[in-house]
Amino acid sequence: MQEYILLMVGAALVNNVILARFLGLCSFMGVTTRIDTAIGMGLATTFVITVSSMGNWGVEQYLLEPYHLSYLRTVTFILIIAGAVQFTEMTVRKVSPPLFQMLGIYLPLITTNCAVLGVALILVEGKMTFIAATLFAFASSLGYSLVMVIFAGLRERLALAEVPRLFAGPPIGFIVASLLALAFLGFSGISTT
Amino acid sequence: MPLNAPVPEHPIDPFSADLVEGVARVVAVKGDRVWLEPELTSSCGGCAASGLCGAKGIGTAANRLEIRRFELVNAAQLVVGERVIIGVDGRALLKASVTAYALPLVIMLSAGAVAQNIAQSDGVTMIAMASGLAFGLLLARWIARWLSTRGQLAPRFLRRADAEEACKISSLES
Repeated sequence: MQEYILLMVGAALVNNVILARFLGLCSFMGVTTRIDTAIGMGLATTFVITVSSMGNWGVEQYLLEPYHLSYLRTVTFILIIAGAVQFTEMTVRKVSPPLFQMLGIYLPLITTNCAVLGVALILVEGKMTFIAATLFAFASSLGYSLVMVIFAGLRERLALAEVPRLFAGPPIGFIVASLLALAFLGFSGISTT
Repeated sequence: MPLNAPVPEHPIDPFSADLVEGVARVVAVKGDRVWLEPELTSSCGGCAASGLCGAKGIGTAANRLEIRRFELVNAAQLVVGERVIIGVDGRALLKASVTAYALPLVIMLSAGAVAQNIAQSDGVTMIAMASGLAFGLLLARWIARWLSTRGQLAPRFLRRADAEEACKISSLES
């Protein structure tokens, strides 16, 4: 149990997908102007990363590795991620049309989010069991969502601040992001091994 | 929004800071109902043009927008082609996200954790997680239906949009 908790803390905070591995920066800058939309995007990405990682783990363990097809890994993973996004979109539309109207806008953006593929490739390197791989993917995406929400909150406050014209917009956004990354660097002191 | 949608328990205040705004185009008027299609607002400068693109088919932008059409009461006497600002309560967006994504995930992971503890087998855990996901989605469907009957997920008409205002919203979103 302790092993799983350490794995999740390490994935969410110490090796944060956005601030430590620099993945998913497009959505990090693009969908964080409001906390509401950041939560929507974060949860949608969490769902897709977790579900697609389960599929990726199965394909890696039962198809790519036994038949020495690891050179097809990236292409296969991209296909599975696209399939997972499509599955999520169809499911949300079927489960509730009003939910689909509200949340459907975020789903196509996830297909091209490199954080999803990044987590899948990190999982392969880790040689984990199924439950460990799923928890790792879930924790990584939770870390992603956490940073998205924190950054959205900061940007909402920043919108009210008087920023010099030279730094207004994306420049001050990147400066705040770098300060946030420095703050998250503090988590690297936690030993998760 | 269903035809018999009730008045929401917490009506949207158009001046509320928690309101998420979006641009939609009127695509059909049927009696006292109007069909709206949300515009793509993320592409800079392309928002107004996106709805006019002639390319159609599975996976195209036009197709994606078509499946996201929704219906509203035509209280403002809107006509086809008009662009309007619609609003969704920020809390509704949060409730929708938690219902659609967080709930099935939590149930799926809980089922997986229990199965792993009992059986210690990857195969059993995979089956348990798939069952947990299916159950979670069914539960999400039930909760979403309950929220819809209370009118909590429906978008509302706020005002007519001019080109400048629509692009201001898109630049805020992107």
